[in-house]
Amino acid sequence: MATNGTQILLIDDDELILKVINRILQKEGYVVTTASNGKDALEYLERDKFDLLITDLMMPYSNGFEVISRFKQHPNAAGVPIIVISSVGTENAVKEGLNIGADDYLRKPIMPDELLIRVRRLLKK
Amino acid sequence: MLLDSLFGPFFRKYFYYYDSYPIVIQIAILLTGVAITTTFIAYSSILTRRANGYLKDVRSKKINQFLDNLITDHIIFNEDVMNGISPQEAILDITPFTKPVFKQKWVKQALIDRLIYFSQSFSGDRNVLFRRLFMELELEKLSFKKLKSISNSTKIVGLVELTSMGIAVADVIILPLTNSKNRKLRSEARIAYIKLSKNDPFKFFDDATEPLLLWDQLELYKIITTTEGLTIPNFARWITYSPNKSIVSFCLKLVIHYNQHEAIPAIVKLLSTKDHYVRADAINCLGKLKADSVEEHLVSIYNNQPLRCQLEILKALGRFGTGRQINFLRSEFLRSNDFDIKKNAARSLINHGMQTKEIVQQLIDTASPDNAIILKHCMNPLIKY
Repeated sequence: MATNGTQILLIDDDELILKVINRILQKEGYVVTTASNGKDALEYLERDKFDLLITDLMMPYSNGFEVISRFKQHPNAAGVPIIVISSVGTENAVKEGLNIGADDYLRKPIMPDELLIRVRRLLKK
Repeated sequence: MLLDSLFGPFFRKYFYYYDSYPIVIQIAILLTGVAITTTFIAYSSILTRRANGYLKDVRSKKINQFLDNLITDHIIFNEDVMNGISPQEAILDITPFTKPVFKQKWVKQALIDRLIYFSQSFSGDRNVLFRRLFMELELEKLSFKKLKSISNSTKIVGLVELTSMGIAVADVIILPLTNSKNRKLRSEARIAYIKLSKNDPFKFFDDATEPLLLWDQLELYKIITTTEGLTIPNFARWITYSPNKSIVSFCLKLVIHYNQHEAIPAIVKLLSTKDHYVRADAINCLGKLKADSVEEHLVSIYNNQPLRCQLEILKALGRFGTGRQINFLRSEFLRSNDFDIKKNAARSLINHGMQTKEIVQQLIDTASPDNAIILKHCMNPLIKY
């Protein structure tokens, strides 16, 4: 499968979401690294450079908010866009997610086409 | 003798002296034997179950992997939908789902479970395709079959499957279940009815004889307020006619949520009901709807009410905030010895805002230490009214 070299870190504890979104993004040519919890994600962040972060909020070990704030503080991650995907759709959660530094917030259940559009839009910026 | 009659010469061979033992020892040996055998059977059974469970898990994992790939390939990556064709008109190739492996009942069930999981995880056009696949494979027949089962838990599974896939169920099947003696089944049937019946989703309120428990009310409230496209009726209908008190109470909550001012006359009639719990709920509802036309009436009945209703009247006066009952609230705060009455009268006074600013200050200046604490507590904006 041909890739366009864009590195995406995808974090979600739901195996199905992880698997399906991974395939959707790979089909578009993105190089996807998946993590099923915040702790693994933070290890990947230390090791590799990413062009986009897609993360869930409610996860074991380190939650999405923690991952975002650590990601934001990382010197290699300056200006890297973040998309939150979460089943927590309350006004407060959306506000908190965007306040902490997320560029976009998608509520679960996810529309695959909408996710792709948002990924493309953020990567263009 | 005992063992001899049970097991014959075989046992005699191994326990030659058994007969010469005292009867107590004989019984002890027998019981020890039974205990050892039972333990062995129990452990074997546990091990067998665990092994079967493990094999089932492995099998499920394998089939789920296979099903996930199949659903992703044919639904998520459906070419027509990806090219902008509407999901109703898109070509849906079901042949991969009709392979011999799908003839097995457990595989069909696994497919139902995965389709439900997918439809809960992904929305939009794909959801229409999940439903189409479910229907075209006639999986709904299996779910309907479950509704006819004797077991309540199987019926619940069937209901959940049909609700998750948005398959309509005839009233004649589902309505009796909304009044089932089994709490869980009743609750699921009511949820299913609201979700699936778009035109008259509250019809089951008409014949509900079983109570709507508080937990069920919470569940239903969540479903009602989050389901899109639901036809919302005038809940005054049940407030007036329903003999089921829990339905009346629940309808009062819905009236508040949907701000149905047209239900006020029906709620006012409840002020003369004998059940003081329902009466308190009605007063609460009037307060939240800010139906200040009943303010005088509430004050006039105040002294004849039980504490629960008195507290609701005090809260309602604060919610109306007309300023006409400031003296009444002030006198209740000063006169009453009941802490809850004092607290609610104070809160309602403070809730009048600028109208009562001076009076509240006066009360603080002249109040006893206890009263001053209550007033200061009620003035804290972080404490919800």
